[in-house]
Amino acid sequence: MAQATITFEDLKTDSEKKVKIIKVAGQLDESNVDEEAKKVYAQIESGGANLSLIFDFSGLEYMNSKSIGYLTDWYSKVSAAGGKAVIAQAKNNIIDILQVVGLTQLITTYPSIEEAKLAVM
Amino acid sequence: MSDSTEKIPVKITIILPTNAYFLSGIRDFTLTMTKNMTGFSEQWAYRFQSVVDELCNNAIEHGSEKGKNVKITFISVPEESLEVVIEDTGTGSAKYTAAQMGNLVKERVSMMHSQYLGLRGRGLPKIVAEWTDELLFEDIEGGGLRVRAKKYLRDKENKVLSSTVQVPTHLQLTN
Repeated sequence: MAQATITFEDLKTDSEKKVKIIKVAGQLDESNVDEEAKKVYAQIESGGANLSLIFDFSGLEYMNSKSIGYLTDWYSKVSAAGGKAVIAQAKNNIIDILQVVGLTQLITTYPSIEEAKLAVM
Repeated sequence: MSDSTEKIPVKITIILPTNAYFLSGIRDFTLTMTKNMTGFSEQWAYRFQSVVDELCNNAIEHGSEKGKNVKITFISVPEESLEVVIEDTGTGSAKYTAAQMGNLVKERVSMMHSQYLGLRGRGLPKIVAEWTDELLFEDIEGGGLRVRAKKYLRDKENKVLSSTVQVPTHLQLTN
């Protein structure tokens, strides 16, 4: 079974904006993505309006099409609630698969966390 | 007597129980084999890993019921092509014929031309179809589907890629 971990960190901001870093590590596939996705949905629901998300993919080794579907849904949810969602530090193979499904046209990817923070804060 | 320049295909068959638990092992194998035995670049090794994962997952999720198997065959002609053939038993939740599957993929490919926000449905039309040159569905006598996905090794396109930003590969859907 593929191993994946998702951890959450709230960022302090000077404004009323709420920013959360979602750090995803390991491999997201059919064997684990449904369970892991529930944790992200819970954070989005408890975050309320104007919540922005930075997905730190530095430790993410693999994602399948279903996990890309979840990522799209999380983007849609936070965007509808007035927030933003961006990706930071993704490996080349992750950017490649996000490109082929067209998701990089929707969610901006940044090479560093600092650049991602600047984009959402 | 065979031509000394003839390339001999390497054929490897793996039989998996219908359980997503085993997908990570198949991905590891696919990545290592593609990197080391085929002549494809590392980027294409990762891409082929995704193609195999999506096809295996479809067979496990829709093609073969629990307790049955999925058969995966890799056919590599070094420096020429890499093909994966996935066979299910036809006992799963989806009862599509090969012709129906071919039509389904074509429909989804055209659907994906606009910005698609759905949860499911990207595996075959985007990942598999975009990253292979031939995608063929066949009915198996006695039940089940056989999916063949083949990628040809072309010098400029596949061997050495320095960037992840690529023009999508040529797609030929065959059914």
